[in-house]
Amino acid sequence: MTPDGRDTSAPALGNVSISRARDYFTVPAPIKRIFDQFPLVTYAPNDLPQRGASNRTGNRLFVFTDAAGAKSHSPSFNPQCLKWQAYLRFVGIDFDIVPSNNHASPTGALPFLLPALPVNNNAPIPSSKLQKWAIEQVHCEEEQQLNLRFEVYASLLDHRIRNAWLYTLYLDNENFSTVARRLYVNPSTSNLLVRATLAAQLQQAARDELLKTSQYIDVSALEAEADDAFEALSTLLSNNEHFFERSSPGLFDASVFAYTHLILDKGMGWKRNRLAELLQKHENLVQHRERLLKYF
Amino acid sequence: MVLELHVWGPAFSLPSIEAQCLATIAYFSLAVPKDAWVLVASSDPSVSPTCELPALRNGSTWVSRFRNIVDYLRQYSNGEWDLDGGLSGLQKADKIGFSSFVESRAHALVDLSLYVTSQNYYNQTSPAYGSILQWPSQWILPPKIHAAAKARTDHLGLSSLDLQAIEEQRQREHSAAVAAGQIPPNFISRPRDTVTSLLGKTSQQNQFRLDALTGELFEPLEEILGDKVYLLTGENEGPSSLDCLAVGYLSLALVPELSFSWLRDAMKSKASRLTVYTERMRQQCFGLNAEVSHAYTPTPNSGSSLPWRAPERARLTTLGNTLFSALADNTPILKDIRAQDRLRVAAESPDSGLSGPDSQKLSAFAKGQKKDLLVNIAYAVGGIAALVGYMAYEGFFSVEVSDEYEEEDELEDDEFEPMPDIEPGSLQVESILAGL
Repeated sequence: MTPDGRDTSAPALGNVSISRARDYFTVPAPIKRIFDQFPLVTYAPNDLPQRGASNRTGNRLFVFTDAAGAKSHSPSFNPQCLKWQAYLRFVGIDFDIVPSNNHASPTGALPFLLPALPVNNNAPIPSSKLQKWAIEQVHCEEEQQLNLRFEVYASLLDHRIRNAWLYTLYLDNENFSTVARRLYVNPSTSNLLVRATLAAQLQQAARDELLKTSQYIDVSALEAEADDAFEALSTLLSNNEHFFERSSPGLFDASVFAYTHLILDKGMGWKRNRLAELLQKHENLVQHRERLLKYF
Repeated sequence: MVLELHVWGPAFSLPSIEAQCLATIAYFSLAVPKDAWVLVASSDPSVSPTCELPALRNGSTWVSRFRNIVDYLRQYSNGEWDLDGGLSGLQKADKIGFSSFVESRAHALVDLSLYVTSQNYYNQTSPAYGSILQWPSQWILPPKIHAAAKARTDHLGLSSLDLQAIEEQRQREHSAAVAAGQIPPNFISRPRDTVTSLLGKTSQQNQFRLDALTGELFEPLEEILGDKVYLLTGENEGPSSLDCLAVGYLSLALVPELSFSWLRDAMKSKASRLTVYTERMRQQCFGLNAEVSHAYTPTPNSGSSLPWRAPERARLTTLGNTLFSALADNTPILKDIRAQDRLRVAAESPDSGLSGPDSQKLSAFAKGQKKDLLVNIAYAVGGIAALVGYMAYEGFFSVEVSDEYEEEDELEDDEFEPMPDIEPGSLQVESILAGL
């Protein structure tokens, strides 16, 4: 925006086309006047959210839940969060629940825990290190070492049942609009555009995850594999109180409970729940879930 | 009716390059009588309507994936061709558990070894694909498979096995340093890493991580195998479908001669009984070393114990389709439209497992999304047209415009009709190559 372009005394005829071109890129005067007014108002920075400023001293576990759920210590609606919430509860560690979302986490995924001690150390513990931390706190045993089937059967939960869960929650449109939108999308914002984008991103992430291992999403195959997985878990549990004949529930029980509870929970408001039908064929898994629900 | 099993072709002296295909071949050779099936190394997922290999063809019925094929065989033979019939309760649970375990853990390690480790991919895996694929698939499919394997193993945090990723990372850091103006660009030296120095560095960095990963896979398998003949069962009960899956994945870990053979070394040192078992099962299921020639020009006395049948050479229409979809999948806007279409096709096909109203809803949803997309395109095109019109109206540029448009049109025509002057028919690849 040099003054030359507007200089009417610019003489040479050859310069006409250049100055014409320049005219397209100079801001027209009325628009420039409007933009000169910006910024209109500069607001003072927002205060920190009140819920973050609480000076509680206990361990704080950040999970997907709502404010009421955090107060009453009810189970989280996210299987990963519920697994660790249940595990810490089973081994007898006291902690407070803080409602949160993935953006708050240093690793980008919930849950994570802010330990109470040592006092001036506020390094968060991601979920992958929670078990190690719990073992240091209460000296419970590392269950993976005790039974070779732990990792093997855990792969059923981490792949077969998780894939079926991803489909049921995110890709089944009826469930998505009644359950996932209510739990994950709507609490984050009231803006309709952002909600629509978030919902699309969630569904796309679930679809990508399922398409990593196969060319197309075969619903009947996902359900058949989940059915097999429940059958295997039911056989493994047989008539025992807890998995691997433990006297008290442990990490594996927590992992199983995380899915069986949410699948059977009436409060989730499932529209179509094929997984529950498959799960209810195995009475001992249903009872296992009811026994563990008493811890909450 | 003879069952046709379509698989990826042979490589590394194994009858297939892909683990699920190997597992299915093992199942057939253990469970199905030899005269009831043939093995076709079609190496092209588009032969089957599900676009997946392994795929089993029985007349007009197609079944894909190991698990579905095993189920189909059991129903088809009324329980006769079933390896899992005699398992007890806990054995059955173990079969399910270990199958999932092998599929998830071993798949990731085989991906890392054959695809993500750059030396192995460029020296062994990629040439192996080259020898089993036809033109033009050999230029289209391997990069896709390579990218998919990288995506699958991304979460393991071992991308430093991938020399390409390291190079990209270094270039990013390099340009970031230049952009930040910290160092004058002339002073930044770029040390040329030789492959060996990189190899030494990365293998040390990765050693601990790989050690843990391989241990997690091999130790439970070694323990469950014990002194038995098969993973779950003894000599007189015979193998189960878990043995087929295991031999599929483990032979891909053990057999290939690779430049950087960390997976084989780990398997030999950590699981000696499992190594012996894999070698024995491989001989039992696949016979002698499989050569590429066995699959494509089978003769009765070639020495292969598998019932190979030569695959049909690709017809011109198939080739055209492959070329067209490869081009379309790489064109920005067309790609999105095609993705939506694929969802709808899946929803409308009767075996997608959705009930009638659901599939209608899903396809309505897909159609709606397509409409949104078209509206977006219309907006963009309209906007650009308005801008160009305005500029033309103001005389911003002169009349050369129309010539440019014509040239562009011609270019597009060339792209979408790759071989306009060859007559349709059952022309073979060689003649097309000659024609080009």
